[in-house]
Amino acid sequence: MTDPMLAELLYQLADDELVIGHRDSEWLGLAPHIEEDIAFGSIAQDEVGHATAFYRLLSDLGLGVADDLAFLRPAGERRNAVLLERPNGAGTYLQDPAFDWGYTVARRLAYDLYDAIRLEVLATSSAHQPLAQLAAKIRREERYHLLHHVTWFKRLAEGTDESRRRLAIGIERTWEDVGGLFVMTPSDYFPTTAEALVERWTAELRPQFLAVGLAWPLALPAPAVDGRAGQHTPDLAALLDTMGEVYRTAPGASW
Amino acid sequence: MFNVYEVFIQKDHGSPHVWVGSVDAGSPDDALLLARENFLRRDPAVSIWVVKQEQVHRTDYEDRDFFARETDKSYRMLTGYNKANAEKWRKYKKNLLDLEKDFVKD
Amino acid sequence: MTDEERLEQFMARIERGEKIESTDWMPMEYRVTLVKFMQMHALSEVMGALPEKEWVPKAPTLARKLSLMAKVQDEMGHGQLILRVAEDLAKPLGKTREDLVGELLTGVCKFHNVFHMPAPTWADAGIIGWLVDGAAVVTQAALLDSSYGPYARVLQRVCAEEGFHIQHGESICLALAEGTPEQRQMLQEALNRWWESLLLFFGPAETTSASATILMKYRFRTRTNEELRQKFFAKYVPRIWSLGLTIPDPDFRWDEAKQTWHYTQPDWTKLKAIARNEGPLSQYRLGLRRMSYEQTKWVREALLGQAGAIA
Repeated sequence: MTDPMLAELLYQLADDELVIGHRDSEWLGLAPHIEEDIAFGSIAQDEVGHATAFYRLLSDLGLGVADDLAFLRPAGERRNAVLLERPNGAGTYLQDPAFDWGYTVARRLAYDLYDAIRLEVLATSSAHQPLAQLAAKIRREERYHLLHHVTWFKRLAEGTDESRRRLAIGIERTWEDVGGLFVMTPSDYFPTTAEALVERWTAELRPQFLAVGLAWPLALPAPAVDGRAGQHTPDLAALLDTMGEVYRTAPGASW
Repeated sequence: MFNVYEVFIQKDHGSPHVWVGSVDAGSPDDALLLARENFLRRDPAVSIWVVKQEQVHRTDYEDRDFFARETDKSYRMLTGYNKANAEKWRKYKKNLLDLEKDFVKD
Repeated sequence: MTDEERLEQFMARIERGEKIESTDWMPMEYRVTLVKFMQMHALSEVMGALPEKEWVPKAPTLARKLSLMAKVQDEMGHGQLILRVAEDLAKPLGKTREDLVGELLTGVCKFHNVFHMPAPTWADAGIIGWLVDGAAVVTQAALLDSSYGPYARVLQRVCAEEGFHIQHGESICLALAEGTPEQRQMLQEALNRWWESLLLFFGPAETTSASATILMKYRFRTRTNEELRQKFFAKYVPRIWSLGLTIPDPDFRWDEAKQTWHYTQPDWTKLKAIARNEGPLSQYRLGLRRMSYEQTKWVREALLGQAGAIA
């Protein structure tokens, strides 16, 4: 019988990675320049790959087939932070995609920094061995992601007045939801506290802001919608609709 | 207009850096970051070099005489020696064998 | 040396099968024609990413999602590799990447007819990966002995990656062919939809267009459209039939006497509309590219701020 706290944690990890990887993949063919399109595509693939690995851990615990867990669970059962389900911008990836690179840079940096800290705790002290081992591997891949996002953060902050303005807007929008990343229940599987996570995250991210002369936003507002409790926005429902559209026509069929 | 960076990859510590292509990028650091995914999605590596395209100095293809080797250079090649040496070693080896025959008889 | 003498020498090199490099003397006609050809090839790869990326968010398994993302990424990668070659050759013409990409968006530079077509079902993603990429490999393999050295070399890498694409596409189609009756039907319908485009892909058999003649003269490309189309049939028709799929052409058959595949000619006039960017999804797809390019202009300017500053 699986400890529900372990399952909850794994769903958070898997759903976080799947939802952000899916959002990232909407940028394919639409990124600011061709070389960056290619680089960002790899980051998107890494996230979906990580999600797959976490769904497999859930599957190993007897909770279902990985694809079913990824494609069939309704929004109310999803445990991703709401920050990650927000659209990349106005429009959809098929219709008038007015995607916002400033928001993408801000959101990705905020999330991947949080994820790096989360993975470090899991890798070094999770009571669930398979999770600790997986986290150790994934951490190494996240190095490139962080380098990418930090570099972009600097480029936009130090580029032009316009890019600085857009980044600031992206940060503002990210801050509306970023508190939702840290909602968690301490357990042997994830032995830390929300306060500790916020403290470490602030210690990493605040210097990046100061280094480029951006004011550090004062507080992390409490999330209006708590994704970790299964509260989500219509954006997630639309995302899941699209994502499962083909799968649902014949679940269990071979594709 | 972006700068063009020529990209060199070293696949392991037993191998030299090899040219693989080029990227348009705003800076050398960006070029390094982009080079990883533009060229190494399927290959392992331990090092990337990027060099601004203008910094690459090159010979002129049309100046073929620059590379001309027309007269016998075998004096500095393996092929200049190994056959002649081998013949001599065969002779000495034969002498040694003959000596051994005599020794055994004694 | 006079220009006539240079030209004579240049053509002699071409006839001898020698490779031309980016810094060699070349007639303006060679440079201009090749830049256009490679620009169109590169930007077709970039546009080619769009029909398939439609299916990434809807890919029906995690494995397919990953595979399709990688494949689409490769197409952007091919665009990048070939565009870099085109940029280097276009430099003396004063053209930059921005100019080359800009010409796509204004319609001056066309993109391959096959990417103007809709991909309305998951099976279309499979057919594209298997047969459209299959057709591209036939064309690209024939360009491997192109007289322009940098292009021939970069195509080696491109062709190697196409191997994965075709396997990816085959894998999707095989799963559908072996699946439920609905999946098999979806696959057959996708094939029916794409068959004409696959014929049009190679261009008309008789072509006396100025650029085609120039490309052959300079041994930039060396095979005719019909040769390539027949090669495609030879390779893929037996496999299509082996899956129990039908070619949506009642007259399609191997002509033993002529030793060629006989097929009903597609409607070649469709290519004219496509060449005016009036194909089924031409404006829609260009619209996506134009929009994203305009929307991200501020980002490129931020990057270029540094490019200007760095000596």
